[in-house]
Amino acid sequence: MISPVKIWRRQKEIRNLLGIKGVILTWTLIYVSGKDFKKYAPYPVVLVEFENGKKAVGQLVDYDKKNLKMGERVISILRKVRESNSEDVIPYGLKFKPINTV
Amino acid sequence: MISVIGYYTTQFGELWEKSLSDLIEEAINGVLKNTGLDKREIDAIFFSNMLAGVLENNLHTPSKIAEILGVNIPIFRVEAACASGGVAFHLAKIYLESKSSKTVVVVGAEKMTDYSPEETTSALASAASGEEQEAGLTFPGLYAMMANYYLQKYLCTEEDLAYVSYKNHYHGSLNDKAHFRKIISVEKVLNSPYVAYPLKVLDCCSTSDGASAVILTNNNTITKKSKRFVNLLASEVATDTISLKERKRLDEVLTTKIASDKAFVAGKVNRKKINVAELHDCFSIAEVIAMEDLGFWKKGEGGKLIKELSTMHGSNSELIINTSGGLKASGHPVGATGIKQIGEIYLQLTGQASNRQVKNAKYGLAHNVGGSGGTAVVTILGC
Repeated sequence: MISPVKIWRRQKEIRNLLGIKGVILTWTLIYVSGKDFKKYAPYPVVLVEFENGKKAVGQLVDYDKKNLKMGERVISILRKVRESNSEDVIPYGLKFKPINTV
Repeated sequence: MISVIGYYTTQFGELWEKSLSDLIEEAINGVLKNTGLDKREIDAIFFSNMLAGVLENNLHTPSKIAEILGVNIPIFRVEAACASGGVAFHLAKIYLESKSSKTVVVVGAEKMTDYSPEETTSALASAASGEEQEAGLTFPGLYAMMANYYLQKYLCTEEDLAYVSYKNHYHGSLNDKAHFRKIISVEKVLNSPYVAYPLKVLDCCSTSDGASAVILTNNNTITKKSKRFVNLLASEVATDTISLKERKRLDEVLTTKIASDKAFVAGKVNRKKINVAELHDCFSIAEVIAMEDLGFWKKGEGGKLIKELSTMHGSNSELIINTSGGLKASGHPVGATGIKQIGEIYLQLTGQASNRQVKNAKYGLAHNVGGSGGTAVVTILGC
């Protein structure tokens, strides 16, 4: 069960992190995931340093293989992050996409 | 002086016939038998476990241990993710430093194989930050990010990392309590499927069932009666941010550096004197980075040096690493691991390590890490 209250608390922080540009410091491609993410695997997760010096982790979406590299420029966006079951609320959160496909 | 006077470990592996309680009972009774002590001579028990509350709705374990043993002594449960064992051992040391002539058991146990890989992966991810969990990061994923960064920065390859698994599986083949006793080739590691790029199945330790126990005492009468004991020279704990993104560097685990620097000073031991060490090789990259952070190798050289296999049993090197098989081949029953590491050093320093014995081992070190490096414990034992 995904807690709506937890999502609400988290969303207050996420809105401040959207639409910011940054670069990929490191990345991985997850093949074996936790149960809530199983249907999305394999999926890339990137550690990004924003232009303001802050850092964040999130999945990379709308990408080509060539975008999956350190130093690649990305922008933060809001996307659905996982799905538990059809009765649950759908949590949205931070993801990234390459700038050159924006 | 605090001494370690005995050790027992259950088999590590898929132990379907045994529950968490069965494993704890076997480990405590085993270590009591090995030391010839009666349970009435034990003043306290420190129990390390991470996942029983998450996976099997099983908490208040101290009372359950009291029921198993039929005792009324203080029993404490300790949780610090994969460093639970090392931290429990550290707290046992602090307990003994505050009391004279006491004897305590430190027992670590974990039951993991009743659950699917997705369930255990999710449960283990509870030790990551909320943001990392929300990004779908797993523990292999966090270490994979460190590995990817390290490989690119220091121009190393996945093949370099594969030598860690090759070495530790060879050691595991010598340890009858190890989960995996099969020697594997570097090619086999490289051909195994990815878990989180660039880490593959055979770069990763396995979930496992098991329990391990040691007995610590500062009771001189008991130490003198003990046939085989080693001195506890140092046990130091360090913590850092839980989030990988907040760390100053991605190619080091700062907690390992802090804990080891303090431990070498506290134990008055030069790191060059360490003959055997159990390192927290939850992933191949972790052993390489730990060798550097502990000061055994220079930063950035580990990827090349591991291929020389100087730390493998049988080499002429003065430092052999992970004779138990490490987490990689022994298996990683999370709460038990830190105790098994200290137990392996105890076996080595008391000449009880049979076919994996390192000759003339006088000083040994155990390095236990929680999460992606948020906690590290370094323990030094000496003859």
